[in-house]
Amino acid sequence: MRETARQLLREREVGLVIGYAAGSEAYWVTPAFIKEEAQADRLVWNPFCVNSLAKYLINYHHEPYKVAVVVKGCDSRALVRLLQDNQVQREKVVVIGIPCLGVVDAKAAALKIAPGTRILGASVTDGEFLLQTESGTLSLPRGEALCAKCRYCENPTPVLADTLLAEEVAAEPAANIYAEVREVESWPREKRSAFWDGHFQRCLRCYACRNICPACTCRECVFDQTDPCWVAKAHNLSENTAFHLIRAMHVAGRCVDCGECERACPVNIPLRLLNQKVIKDIKELFGVSTPGSRLDEMPALGMFATEDPDEFN
Amino acid sequence: MSVRDFLLTREGLHSWLSRLARDYPLIAPVEEEKGVITFKQVGGPQEIVFDCAPSTLPPKEWFLPSTEELFAFSTAGGGITLQEPPGPKERVLFGLHPCDVRALLALDPVFGGTYPDPYYLGRRKATIIVALSCTKPGPYCFCPAVGGDPVVAAGADLLLTESGSSFAVKAMTSRGEEIIQRYPGHFAPDEEGRGERARQELAGQLAGMFAFLPDLRGVKEFLDGHFELPYWEEVASRCLGCGICTYTCPTCHCFDIFDQSWDGARGLRARCWDSCMFSQFTRMAGGHNPRPTQKERVRNRFLHKLKYHQDRYGLGGCVGCGRCVAKCPVNIDIRRIIGDLKELASHG
Ligand code: SF4
Ligand code: SF4
Ligand code: SF4
Ligand code: SF4
Ligand code: SF4
Repeated sequence: MRETARQLLREREVGLVIGYAAGSEAYWVTPAFIKEEAQADRLVWNPFCVNSLAKYLINYHHEPYKVAVVVKGCDSRALVRLLQDNQVQREKVVVIGIPCLGVVDAKAAALKIAPGTRILGASVTDGEFLLQTESGTLSLPRGEALCAKCRYCENPTPVLADTLLAEEVAAEPAANIYAEVREVESWPREKRSAFWDGHFQRCLRCYACRNICPACTCRECVFDQTDPCWVAKAHNLSENTAFHLIRAMHVAGRCVDCGECERACPVNIPLRLLNQKVIKDIKELFGVSTPGSRLDEMPALGMFATEDPDEFN
Repeated sequence: MSVRDFLLTREGLHSWLSRLARDYPLIAPVEEEKGVITFKQVGGPQEIVFDCAPSTLPPKEWFLPSTEELFAFSTAGGGITLQEPPGPKERVLFGLHPCDVRALLALDPVFGGTYPDPYYLGRRKATIIVALSCTKPGPYCFCPAVGGDPVVAAGADLLLTESGSSFAVKAMTSRGEEIIQRYPGHFAPDEEGRGERARQELAGQLAGMFAFLPDLRGVKEFLDGHFELPYWEEVASRCLGCGICTYTCPTCHCFDIFDQSWDGARGLRARCWDSCMFSQFTRMAGGHNPRPTQKERVRNRFLHKLKYHQDRYGLGGCVGCGRCVAKCPVNIDIRRIIGDLKELASHG
């Protein structure tokens, strides 16, 4: 990765490489914006590279130079999203793809390591997540350590890349991908309502879920408008619910199931579950694939077909 | 020893908390959702989480609610009538860590200065604060680096420190003493200075337990002379401009005031948390925005924490609770920022 970045910068193919750098804890990374060849050594790749970096591209939309970005499989769907929405121009991006065995969100995986323990290395194999620390190697079953989205990953190999940094990884059959959604669907209405009310009332309206989302790219978001005021600033169950349902509908058909909203949420609201429900319904209704997985398939709710059997009425 | 020191057994603590919950609204840390600890009114000690260092969200909601009605208005019968909501009832806030108490001390001059804010001050006055010494810092805590003390919570009414199978209790204010007198039979006077020894011992143990203590010396002086730094661009390029770091911070206190009315004839005026990290925060009527990019916004947040609050009130704007560190989705870590600024300072 470092070599690829160095080469791209050296040959002035790109003016910027967006990748990952070591974070303030061994189990965190932070986005890195590399502009000089000499800085490329800051780049890292390890199982803690959870962040999706694709959305940062829109900040460089007006720059004269090309930007290279590191993407995992799921992140490539976000990139497709941005390309299809004309937020990013294909000819201005160099895609460094990483076929991915899964990543670990240290916040969610509750790794049982004492604070301050030095982590020497981490890796994901077919069946395990291995963490080398000063006090020995910790092994967790893959299913327990990995992010929920990685357990049923549909695109471990980026769907779009100019260069792939490893051998392709085959997708596992994802029969259970919507198991949790089905579970919630099976509940009686009152239980579902109480479940979501319980979560929505806790929302801080910090908008991290929106700001991190590759499908949320509106320059002026409805939730920031004061006139007309679609959702009041007040934090209460009613306004919070309005916020969540409107957002779910705004990203319907465009949400690429990257799970970043849920990862960012400081109060653990199961946002991916909400958005997965919409993905599942749209797949069933329109027979489409997960948004972003095919560059030639436009979002189901963002295109029309003359042979559409339904009338507009 | 002083009559302000008492001892409380574990059972005594539980029965005292049960009594408190009956006599006052008792607010304490609870696990609202798996992994999310917040301050809520509780029915008794069984709901309380005792070993959270620190809670996911700070207790500031109880002083500066995320949405607070200031008054209701109505034009019924001609003219305008205003109605203020009832003031807060006396209540007990239990289980604050020393950093959270210190955060309240940092907020006090903001709301109690030239223009006293009756809403905040009313809530502050109505609250009896029972603090709990930390027995183990959280993974991102760094209170000693910003002048905090994880054991003694100056500013609390009562301080509880776990010591073996019991708790040492120190009345820090006359209000604290009154509370103890109101519940005779629960507290035994600590005549041998066990509490003091327990606190000192704990302080000694804790000193080595902080994973990462940034060195703040010289950082403010450096910032005094360097408003423009290319460094802020680097931080801003990563930042999402969300509200996590400000909303989880016990000392952040920006708010926005708005009116809500469905028919124009009746409605209410309220205030609501706002964040300097939001792009609309400084946008004025007419569209001008004096902090046009995330760079200015990020800089504002860190300068507020490390410089402005100090300039204005002589108090640190950051109490080292590490909540923003724990929750930032892109790992913008104030401990690292301090370290980086220090490094920049030493390179001139
Ligand atoms: S809604 Fe959530 S899961 Fe869907 S694209 Fe946005 S951040 Fe990703
Ligand atoms: S990230 Fe979580 S708390 Fe913040 S607005 Fe979204 S759902 Fe609410
Ligand atoms: S929490 Fe992190 S990403 Fe969000 S505004 Fe704060 S520093 Fe930026
Ligand atoms: S800036 Fe961060 S560490 Fe400091 S008081 Fe606020 S939340 Fe805590
Ligand atoms: S920052 Fe200090 S006072 Fe606050 S919870 Fe951590 S150790 Fe305790």
